[in-house]
Amino acid sequence: MKLKVLKANGEKMTLKLALSGLKNHLKDYFILFSGLTISAAIFYMFQTLAANPLFLKSNTYLLSIVVIFNLGTFLLAIITFAYLNYANNFLINLRSRIYAMYLMLGAKSRKIAQLIFLETIVIGLLAVLAGIVCGIILTQLISRLLIRQLDLSLIHYSPWNNQAILVTLIFFLVIFVFFALKNARKLVYTPILKLLNQEKTPVRAHKNPLLWGGEIIAGIVLLAIGYWALAHLDILNIKGIFVAIITIVSGSYFVFDSLFLAIVQNLQHRPNFALKRLHSFTLGQLNFRLRDLTKLLAMISIMFALALGAITAGIGFHRDIATITNVCSDYDFILHDPSTRELDQVNNLKLTDTSVYHYKVASNKVYWLVDDFDLKPFNYVIPNGSFNPIKYSHVTGKQMLKDKNKWLSILQSYLGDASTILPGGFLPKKEFQTKTGKEHTINLYVLKNFMAEKNQIKPLVLADNKKIKLDVNRDSTQKYNIFFVINGMLSGFEFMGLFLGIAFLAMLASCLMFKILSGANNDMHRYQILKQIGTRHQLLEYSIAQEIGTIFLLPALLGIVHVLFGLQMFKVTTLIHEPYKNLIIPIGIFLVLYAFYYLITDFIYQKKVLRK
Amino acid sequence: MTSIVAVQQVKKVYGKVHEEKTVALKDVNFQVETGEFIGIMGASGSGKSTLLNILSTIDRPTSGQVLINGYDITKLRGNKLSDFRAHQIGFIFQDFNLLEDLTVEENIALPLSLQEMNPKRIKALVILISKKLSISSILKKYPAEISGGQKQRAAAARALITKPAILLGDEPTGSLDSSSARELLNTMTNLNQKDKISILLVTHDPVSASFCQRILFIKDGVIGKELRRNNLDRISFYHQILNEIESFES
Ligand SMILES: Nc1ncnc2c1ncn2[C@@H]1O[C@H](COP(=O)(O)OP(=O)(O)O)[C@@H](O)[C@H]1O
Ligand SMILES: [Mg+2]
Repeated sequence: MKLKVLKANGEKMTLKLALSGLKNHLKDYFILFSGLTISAAIFYMFQTLAANPLFLKSNTYLLSIVVIFNLGTFLLAIITFAYLNYANNFLINLRSRIYAMYLMLGAKSRKIAQLIFLETIVIGLLAVLAGIVCGIILTQLISRLLIRQLDLSLIHYSPWNNQAILVTLIFFLVIFVFFALKNARKLVYTPILKLLNQEKTPVRAHKNPLLWGGEIIAGIVLLAIGYWALAHLDILNIKGIFVAIITIVSGSYFVFDSLFLAIVQNLQHRPNFALKRLHSFTLGQLNFRLRDLTKLLAMISIMFALALGAITAGIGFHRDIATITNVCSDYDFILHDPSTRELDQVNNLKLTDTSVYHYKVASNKVYWLVDDFDLKPFNYVIPNGSFNPIKYSHVTGKQMLKDKNKWLSILQSYLGDASTILPGGFLPKKEFQTKTGKEHTINLYVLKNFMAEKNQIKPLVLADNKKIKLDVNRDSTQKYNIFFVINGMLSGFEFMGLFLGIAFLAMLASCLMFKILSGANNDMHRYQILKQIGTRHQLLEYSIAQEIGTIFLLPALLGIVHVLFGLQMFKVTTLIHEPYKNLIIPIGIFLVLYAFYYLITDFIYQKKVLRK
Repeated sequence: MTSIVAVQQVKKVYGKVHEEKTVALKDVNFQVETGEFIGIMGASGSGKSTLLNILSTIDRPTSGQVLINGYDITKLRGNKLSDFRAHQIGFIFQDFNLLEDLTVEENIALPLSLQEMNPKRIKALVILISKKLSISSILKKYPAEISGGQKQRAAAARALITKPAILLGDEPTGSLDSSSARELLNTMTNLNQKDKISILLVTHDPVSASFCQRILFIKDGVIGKELRRNNLDRISFYHQILNEIESFES
């Protein structure tokens, strides 16, 4: 009985300690918590895609989408783990001093270990739950937006998904239990003094200049090999991917470990630069920071490239939807025997060209009025799935007569259900008029801009499909039908690319943010000293902005270089038509978002280190 | 003689509106003459650090006025305050306050870089001051690679390189062994006598105090007693200080 009371008291005490910690660092916990929530939300949203009917319905393309989806899940899991690791270090940094203090005051280390275990789990659990709620709301918003913007057919797409909730919960809980154990262990086994004084005193790195030079060269050579492999992916296939991953990852590491450091140290030895304002301090900070950050920055440059690459590919696929659609046919839509009401609707569209061809069906055979083709020559594209199909332009009736059978069967394909009627022949005007049989017309229209007016022609096309019993998925004469199929396939890729790109960006930028903010408590002292020797406030702000800016900029630069070379991959495999086109758009979007993270980090860091 | 520091009716109360108040300084008045080497002594908790923090503009008095080289430092704000720190005062602390990620040379040069001085002149001045403080051989080292005594000399070099009106020190020998402490104090005496640098030290250590020309004793937030060395040799002055502490503290 007594024991129970004691125990209850102990628990109460423990809870009090935990809460006291929370209160003192409310802002830090807010940053941490919102970061975790966002990562959980992103993970959940990606999981809901798995249950998206879009992926299940378009069965022809299911395989490639599933592969990409699994790859995406894998990458997302890795970066989420890395991200949580940095967030956890941030947490430990917040707490270790306080816990060390309690330990000094005689608290049992087992109790404290229990406490940090509990704390980690509770924070993690709350963040995941909040993340899932955010994820559900965001999924709802995004899917609505996408249906409108991308013509995605996400019918019955429910943002609430049991499987996704379960997977997200399990994934995060496993990771948090892992970190909770790690944190508890660390606290029990690290000497108190070290916990109290986590400040790392920088020591000079003794680098052999010869090895150093070798490392720079090795880094650049490795990157070159990786880029070369990507540019020859058409020959190397999957081997090329493996080569590229290994060489680019290690190359990036070497470049950060040697090249950037060499530049910083070189600047340090230029008095005209280093002895200006706070340059020597900023360079000194970078000199030690870069060494500490080598691994992280190398990883970030890769993630940056993957994210930017994904967004570029996403935008590329989006562009391809229009490109492929447009290249498949010169005519934007076709109507068979349009009614006067339909013709009225057509007149409201922005047309640039109209061709009308007459034909008669007599005893199941089709006879074309050949004069129509002389009047308005016919354009034909052989759809072969490439961006440069074979084209026959301005084919006149006379030319058709030279290769009669070929053109009859081509024209036949414009008449839909071919089982009931057969090619007949071409007739000059006089014979055509006297030919018995029902007269029909086929009207081929060219719009000013198909993509802009595709929604207006949609009802006309659907009615026409019904009229001639066209199989939407097989027909290649009606541009809208082609668009429908291509869009169904590529918008999945597009969405995945954009989603992964932005998710990765959010995670990688947050990794940097947490890493930098984790060091803020140790850096505070330095800025205090600088203030004391009379450094103006603006100069301190400027120095911080420069230092953090450099840390953000370096991986971004290398990441952009990766992308510039890496896009060769899409070019040689012809997965994306003109992958370099309008590259400034994805890079611009990306840099704006990235800069946003930089500004937030800079702001919070300054708040922390420059406060009185 | 003109005074370089004038402290008038300075009061410092810690604790915000709803917190418990601690009166660290009650009513402090004194002056430091140009070229003087003055010490302020007192037991732990007597308000020495509080006073020095106010003199070095790290903290502000609750009321009262402090003039340094003609500037009313309690009125300085923003860039004016920074520039005042950069040009008029130099200080050294018990825990050195060197920037760990800069070499000794870079640490010493920093105040001049802030003034946007020509790099060539900075180099020359760094060499000059480090000779004076006998640290020429460790200029390329990082603070973590040198001894406590060397760190404090480096800190002194950084404090003095701008030729401040006064050098302030809060227990500068506090974390040094006795021989390093003595060396530093001898150097400071030299700087004071040869280069006419005004120095104000805060200490509870009688040995350090015995290097000064004049000592002010602080107790319960007021200056209670003053002692002048006059022509006494250092050892005798030291014993006089010990006696004084005996009677003053009790
Ligand atoms: N930041 C502070 N907040 C509240 N009280 C303080 C603070 N700094 C010092 N004090 C109090 O003011 C008095 C003088 O302290 P201090 O100037 O540090 O003494 P000394 O340096 O002589 O040991 C002490 O009672 C101390 O507890
Ligand atoms: Mg003190």
